[in-house]
Amino acid sequence: MEQILVNGAILAANYALIALGITLIFSIMNVLNFAHGQMFMLGGLLVYWLVVQIGLPYAAALIGATIIVGVIGMAFEVFFFRQVMRNSTREENTMLLAVGTALLLENAALSLFGEKQRGVPPIVSGVYKLGDAFLPANRAFVFGVSVVLIVAVLLFVNYSRTGRAMRALAQDRTATLLMGVNTARVSTLGFGLGAALAAVAGGLLITVSGVNAGVGTAISTKAFIMIMIGGAGVVSGALLGAVALGFIEAFGYAYLPGSLTYLMIFVALIIFLLIRPQGIMGKPWG
Amino acid sequence: MVIASRRTLLKGAGALALAGAIGAPARVRAEGKVLKIGQLGVMSGPEASWGLVNKFSCLATAEMWNAKGGVEIDGELYRVEIVSVDDRNDPKLTVSGAERLTGEEGIHYFVGPNMDTTATSVRPIAEKNKAIYIPYAFARTVYTPPAENAILGMIASYQVAPVMYKILKEERGVGKVAFLARNDSDGLLQRDEASKVAKNLGLEIISSDTYEPSITDFFPVVANAVSASPDLIIMSSVAPAHCPQLMRAAREMGYTGLFAAESAQDIKIIKEVAGEYGDGLVSIGGASTPEIRSAYMEDFIEKYNAVAGEWNDEAGTKAYALEMLLGTLQKTGAAGISDIEIFKKAIPDFSMKNPFLKEEAALTYVGMADFGQKRQIGVPMVITETKGGEFTTLAIGKVES
Amino acid sequence: MATATDPAPTRGEKRVLGPFLLIFAPLAAVLFVAIPFVLADMPYWLNVVTNACLLSFASLGVWLTFSIGRVNIAQGAFCLIGGYTVGGLTTFGGLSFWLALPFGGAAAALVGYIIGYPLLRLRGIYFAMVTLSLTEAVRLAFLYFGTMVGVTSITSIPSPPGITSPMAFYLFAAALLILGYAGIWRLQSSRTGGVFRSMRQNEELAASIGIDVARYRVFAFTICCFMGGIAGGIFAALQQNVYPQSYTVADSINFMLYCFLGGLEFVLGPIVGTFALVVSFELLRAIQEYQALLYGILMIVVMLFLPNGLLSFFPALKRLSGGRK
Repeated sequence: MEQILVNGAILAANYALIALGITLIFSIMNVLNFAHGQMFMLGGLLVYWLVVQIGLPYAAALIGATIIVGVIGMAFEVFFFRQVMRNSTREENTMLLAVGTALLLENAALSLFGEKQRGVPPIVSGVYKLGDAFLPANRAFVFGVSVVLIVAVLLFVNYSRTGRAMRALAQDRTATLLMGVNTARVSTLGFGLGAALAAVAGGLLITVSGVNAGVGTAISTKAFIMIMIGGAGVVSGALLGAVALGFIEAFGYAYLPGSLTYLMIFVALIIFLLIRPQGIMGKPWG
Repeated sequence: MVIASRRTLLKGAGALALAGAIGAPARVRAEGKVLKIGQLGVMSGPEASWGLVNKFSCLATAEMWNAKGGVEIDGELYRVEIVSVDDRNDPKLTVSGAERLTGEEGIHYFVGPNMDTTATSVRPIAEKNKAIYIPYAFARTVYTPPAENAILGMIASYQVAPVMYKILKEERGVGKVAFLARNDSDGLLQRDEASKVAKNLGLEIISSDTYEPSITDFFPVVANAVSASPDLIIMSSVAPAHCPQLMRAAREMGYTGLFAAESAQDIKIIKEVAGEYGDGLVSIGGASTPEIRSAYMEDFIEKYNAVAGEWNDEAGTKAYALEMLLGTLQKTGAAGISDIEIFKKAIPDFSMKNPFLKEEAALTYVGMADFGQKRQIGVPMVITETKGGEFTTLAIGKVES
Repeated sequence: MATATDPAPTRGEKRVLGPFLLIFAPLAAVLFVAIPFVLADMPYWLNVVTNACLLSFASLGVWLTFSIGRVNIAQGAFCLIGGYTVGGLTTFGGLSFWLALPFGGAAAALVGYIIGYPLLRLRGIYFAMVTLSLTEAVRLAFLYFGTMVGVTSITSIPSPPGITSPMAFYLFAAALLILGYAGIWRLQSSRTGGVFRSMRQNEELAASIGIDVARYRVFAFTICCFMGGIAGGIFAALQQNVYPQSYTVADSINFMLYCFLGGLEFVLGPIVGTFALVVSFELLRAIQEYQALLYGILMIVVMLFLPNGLLSFFPALKRLSGGRK
């Protein structure tokens, strides 16, 4: 039982970073970022490249990869998403663009980093024991860094000037514009921050399980599940969704025949959304 | 740093320069005779590594022959040209890809595809256009009559299992086993076949779990298996990307037994991802372990490095397909290049020296026992164990003819 | 919203037939004269256009759910249901393909009808994501229950009797497509089509004037699922197999993309989008490993310059040349 709780907590922390990123982008831009998993993947592979090929220390590599992916995210917003949103008659049209960027990132990574699974050796080694549960030191480290980052992002979004502007933008774009906020700049920053969060998650997870160029779509699907549970576009919802998915997965693998876990997750999710269409915390109709 | 040099090269050449090649169909430009061999498989998306290893292996083999001036068939030298088609693991694209290779390019021999889904989809096209193909998928239907155009390019999991488990039972005292299978039709099928084998050998199956192909953290998945404390964890249809993750998660939870995989794994990934937990994996290898490989194999590895940027141990099992094809075509003569009936007739009696092994060993077509006809390349079954970040040879067996 | 350039026929029967024939006749000419004539001796390209026809047919269904304002990422699931139904009935039931095919469509439609009622209450990205989950759920269900009964996959599915050559298969697929196109066009130009459009713009408003919104939504979704089931059933016979992983989330996303790429305001949109993406992917084969990369770039470029789809190019051209406002 302890082991299941430990597993769930670690999964939840990893997932929370991913969910926070995708929900930021969604709430500010109203874009469902299909490329989110690819940004996660790119973050991981960049850390690998910086550590193993260039020889940087892990911390520097993690920061470097985060900045690079963050800048890519901002560039996507400025050059792609903003243009399309200005000219298209339906907001959903950005979905095609998002899938295009996902394909672009995935195949660029395949050419640059090769097809293999890439891993970085654990930052700290050893295994702790909590009651009956095993907790490898490296997982504890990843968990700790994730929690710190989540708190930092929450503080930023809730209390900083830019963070408040982001939340305002998510609530009412026109009103925010009228209040004299530079919405273009805030949107760009928000997109960059969302991408950077995905990259951090990838950079952390590469020390645990490794990353390969094709992992993106699976991560994006998980991110979608989380924001569906929690409610799209709400920061607290993303965190709740991540915690819910983390623990459901851990309990599912422990108590259900393995192949049934994800089937049950999807079926439960569909039924849950029928009862509460906006997720736990979401605004109705996204 | 080999990778870095490949990367620079890629940048130098530039995707755009290559894009200029669109519209200019890949027609033969070389003087002299050319033998075109197809390669079809998944080379983008999550399973990209499966097909890319095939492609790089074919290119390396072709390179080796072409360096010698080509393959001599009926006294004439043929330059080997590989035509690659990416099917993205989508049966619709496999069908049109096979049609492209066999119809458009007029190719009668191709290597691939990689999965049961795609391999069975190719069958009608191969039969219509009279082509031989060498899939790396285990679906029995394509190798058993009335199907007769597919030749299994590697050793099937259900052939490895009896040999491997027997050795582990007798030499390592394995009694209790746990299964961990990937939750897709390939993984589940392989698990079911392996369970039967284990039962027949008198092994006790104490747990059986599955995981989604999209998984990122194996900790929750291995918890059940480890808590049952088996002697051996069998990973059915495990991808090289997942194998070290599984091993590390299990070891971190205190597991001390052995691991078994019935497919080829890659030591570099194991070293990078599993690190110090990478020991004790029993898996199937090609001819790549240093103590048994020949100078020819060394050359193949070198060529593979040049093509792919880095060596991949999976290629050890995939070096055989094109080599066998070319060897058989040398026996059939030039007529066999365009007539697969001649090729099929040559299959039962064909034998050549295995060029990849130091020892004298014959390479033949096998498969009577499993498929009722010889529709499998008799790749030696090299069972390896990881020790100290290296593959070591545990045993060498072979598939019953 | 963009009604000025909207060619969808809304203004009375008489003016409907003209624009219909204006597109229908060239489309039929391309499908039944130009393509068979040019590609007669090219089985590979025939196979590509056959795929494109069948995929367009399924995308037309997805387009119909777009027309009621729902982003549908579930079509792969219904192709899978159709594929298993046709595969099972022909391989194990010994039924002829021609008899089994309607059952494939009906099975998918039935499932769509039943889950459509509750599902369609969702909107926006919630509907998009829940349908994406549905694709995964159906795949996993076939895998799980298939393993329980011992039949996860169906192989050696007989090919349709009477269709012996790639050309015959192509003509069959093309006939199906033109039929589907005519059907969807007819639906769009009917009163029902008008109701669909009003629902897309404001569902509450539509409900307030006495339209049974729920019934219309399910009607559109059921037709969509039926078309998915038919396409899936034919693919099963074409490839002679069906596996749980024959249709994944990527396939469902593709169906949606085809509609976006062609243009959501046009009934022809999904057909143009599908042919453009399928054919361009094949043309890009010449550049080998950069194929998929350039495919992604192509999508981005189209969206940047024609954010409302490829077909929006023509109204834009019309506007430039000073045509009707």
